[in-house]
Amino acid sequence: MSIGISKNILLVDDNPLFLKILSQALTTAGFSCHTAKSGCEALDSLKAFKPDVILSDYEMPGMNGLEFRLQVLQIDSLKEIPFLFLTAHEDEGIMYTGLNLQAIDYVLKTTPFDVIVAKLTNLLHTVSKQREITEREIRKTVAALNIKTVPAAMPQLNGFDVDFWHRSYQNIPGGDFIDFIDTNNYLFVVIGDLMGKKWKAWFYTFTYLSYIRAAIRFSVITGNSSLANTLQQINAVVCQDEGLADILSSLSLVRIEKTTSRVIYSGAGDLPLLHYRPDVQELKQVKSTGMLLGVLPDGFYTEQEITMAPSDELYIFTDGLIDISSGGQQKTDYRYFANQMSGYFQLGQSFNDIKYSLQQQAAGFTDDSSIICIKKNSKHA
Amino acid sequence: MLKIVNEHPQYILAKVEIAEANLNYSDQFKTELVSLLKDKGRIVLLNMEQVTYVDSSFLGALVAGLKHALGAGNDLALSGLQKDVHDLLKLIRLDKVFKIYANEQAAIAALDQ
Repeated sequence: MSIGISKNILLVDDNPLFLKILSQALTTAGFSCHTAKSGCEALDSLKAFKPDVILSDYEMPGMNGLEFRLQVLQIDSLKEIPFLFLTAHEDEGIMYTGLNLQAIDYVLKTTPFDVIVAKLTNLLHTVSKQREITEREIRKTVAALNIKTVPAAMPQLNGFDVDFWHRSYQNIPGGDFIDFIDTNNYLFVVIGDLMGKKWKAWFYTFTYLSYIRAAIRFSVITGNSSLANTLQQINAVVCQDEGLADILSSLSLVRIEKTTSRVIYSGAGDLPLLHYRPDVQELKQVKSTGMLLGVLPDGFYTEQEITMAPSDELYIFTDGLIDISSGGQQKTDYRYFANQMSGYFQLGQSFNDIKYSLQQQAAGFTDDSSIICIKKNSKHA
Repeated sequence: MLKIVNEHPQYILAKVEIAEANLNYSDQFKTELVSLLKDKGRIVLLNMEQVTYVDSSFLGALVAGLKHALGAGNDLALSGLQKDVHDLLKLIRLDKVFKIYANEQAAIAALDQ
């Protein structure tokens, strides 16, 4: 079995001795075992724990294995977990009923433990392989539809260097999105995070991006110079689109005016930007007021100008970067990330160095992670 | 993962029984929360003191619950937020849409008024 396949199992059996011995054999084989002595106890532990496979006894007092299976099938988030029955003897009638309940297999209790372990190991390996194939298919579909949620190239802009780093969690497109919209007078920098990575995330992301692109293009055509207004329009459309009900997104929108080099910013439920001023070695947070897109019909959007001196750097990023794992526990810590950035600047590191460091840490990230750097050229007045 | 602690004529107190509230739980949590709001037709107050971490999908589930509650003329309030979780809500301004109370007692006192 390849490294990295998750092996959490829930064992359900009313016989404590059998439970103990099987659990020991599986633990030795690298499984992480949770045990329950009844269907009720198992359902209770499933409220806080999602195993990769469930192995349940058939004959149990109170709720029997079939009833337990029926309950599991009622719960959307659990019904896809591979389920196997344990039985004391071969009974075709029971097997038939069980297999109709989408149980993958039967294991006789008289089966040697090493065979049970091998069966479960093979099963998890197959599930993991199948998931890989499905993910590959999604990536192929998205590529074929030419749906890009991050741009292929960096924008060219007189007076500024714009660069970004993006890492898609588990390599599935969707979640975070980035876009650069170049018009005659402006460059719009767009970065957002669709909340919750799901299989269909790329579809919703594409819908969001389409609205955002359209609203920005319209604002340019109609001469609407208010970024806050543009955000409000995007939000209004999102709130009215039934297909996006309960799909929320953060958005940071920065507009750079080509002739004046003015930088205007408006945000929707995004993290405060970081503005680094190397002349005074100061790292400042830039906060917006707006609500996540899709929450309320009025999102309280405002805009502000960010005054950037030559060599100043502006960083816009998504929440995957502020999640840290500490002592086996997951934490969200904006200040930790800001301090980390501050440390890079004190060492005189460039965005290329920062990208390299992020790349080194990326295997530990548990969500999409994206960061854009807008740097004002030193020679630019 | 959502345990009803107390049913009051005006509100329901429920406890979120997860520590790391992430993508693995968000769908089920949303289903439980929305059906609780539907079944009881009252303000729901969530005690979040056990929750040490929330990811964006779980926040999405909370907001979906809030939208459902507001749409039905009710509300969804939060109490007992751990500092990191509260800080995250403040960072992305969700503290402006949720009523947030320091603890269950404070929430009850406010709801009883």
